Amino acid sequence: MKVTDEELMAYADGELSPVDAARIEAAVASDPDLALRLDAERKLRAALRGHLDPVAEEPVPDAWKAMIAAAAEEDKQAEERKVVSLAAARAEKAKKAAQDARETARARPFMQRWGTGVAIAASLALGVFMGTQLTLKGSVSDRDGTLVASGTLARGLDRQLAAASEEESLQILTSFQRRDGDYCRVFASGGTSGIACKDDRGWVLERTINGGTRQGTQYRQAGSANSELMAAAQEMAKGAPLDAEQEKAAKANGWKD
Amino acid sequence: MSMTRFCEELTALLPRLRRFARGLTQDSADADDLCQQTIERALKARQQWQEGTRLDAWVYRIMRNQWIDEVRARTRRSQTFAHEDEGMNVGVAGDRDAENRVELGNVERALQRLPEDQREAVVLVMVEGFGYKEAADILGIPQGTLTSRLGRGREALLRELGEAA
Repeated sequence: MKVTDEELMAYADGELSPVDAARIEAAVASDPDLALRLDAERKLRAALRGHLDPVAEEPVPDAWKAMIAAAAEEDKQAEERKVVSLAAARAEKAKKAAQDARETARARPFMQRWGTGVAIAASLALGVFMGTQLTLKGSVSDRDGTLVASGTLARGLDRQLAAASEEESLQILTSFQRRDGDYCRVFASGGTSGIACKDDRGWVLERTINGGTRQGTQYRQAGSANSELMAAAQEMAKGAPLDAEQEKAAKANGWKD
Repeated sequence: MSMTRFCEELTALLPRLRRFARGLTQDSADADDLCQQTIERALKARQQWQEGTRLDAWVYRIMRNQWIDEVRARTRRSQTFAHEDEGMNVGVAGDRDAENRVELGNVERALQRLPEDQREAVVLVMVEGFGYKEAADILGIPQGTLTSRLGRGREALLRELGEAA
């Protein structure tokens, strides 16, 4: 049986399958020439290892170990920094969450009171409305280019309290003081809601939202209008909305400080 | 594996790396320089090492590539040198070979005379004990190329050592 040099080499290197290895072993056993070649292969390997193995026995320079140890230390510190910064990020997040919670809590009075007025399905038009489009026609008048409440709306804004407004044609959803100290009231009347603020002459309509009637593509969900209007109120308000006592006091004082 | 374990395993590899470096360079000072450079490179690239693969093969590859770079740089230098000073003796290895011939063992001399590509194949398989596939991977060559280089290198060594014996 012919055994090639390549096969013999692969056998010596342990690269053959058990079946092939057995075949080479059988051939070697019956062929002294082949046995000599294999022996030479093995001696070569032994000679190479005899030459190079002692290098692996030499003590490794401390400097190399120190390099690796320094890298390991670096990684450890980086890992710790990561843990620390993670903890810091977590604390920061917790702080922000707490802050958000406080802000939400501050805004909640608006949203809760607004909840009493969810009947308003509105298409939103922020800003001052064309008087003709308002269902409050007759309750709005023009004052030097500014829309102000008149008639029943003005009277309602003057007199009605938020808590007592359920059955009225005018609903006062909430009252608050804006930053300049003026009193403002979020109201709904018929299909229209808005924010009116009291100046020394009357109730200026700061925001109006036309509700109930669809205006083509302008139709919006009530929730969306709610949040828009409440966001506007929140934006304008100085602190929380008035509670019942404060509202009563403000009314008694003619909505002036 | 954590980087801590990477460093532990790398430390444990150092004796073998040094042996491979000596096998590649055939010079103890070169070998230690090569080792140091390899450790630096491996540490710098440690984030790129992929868990689940053999660390030894990864580091051996770094060492071998580093050595190839060095050999090329030396070849360039010696060519420049020969060009400028025609007639001077060329080749660092040639000098050393001539000077040290008497002191060198047969095996060392035979290894030194092998072409680089045959020597690295022989050392990886016969000394470092890598399988053909792993050795071919470390060298970045097909397995057939590896076995052919290995065969030629072996043949040359056998011839030389046979004569010397």
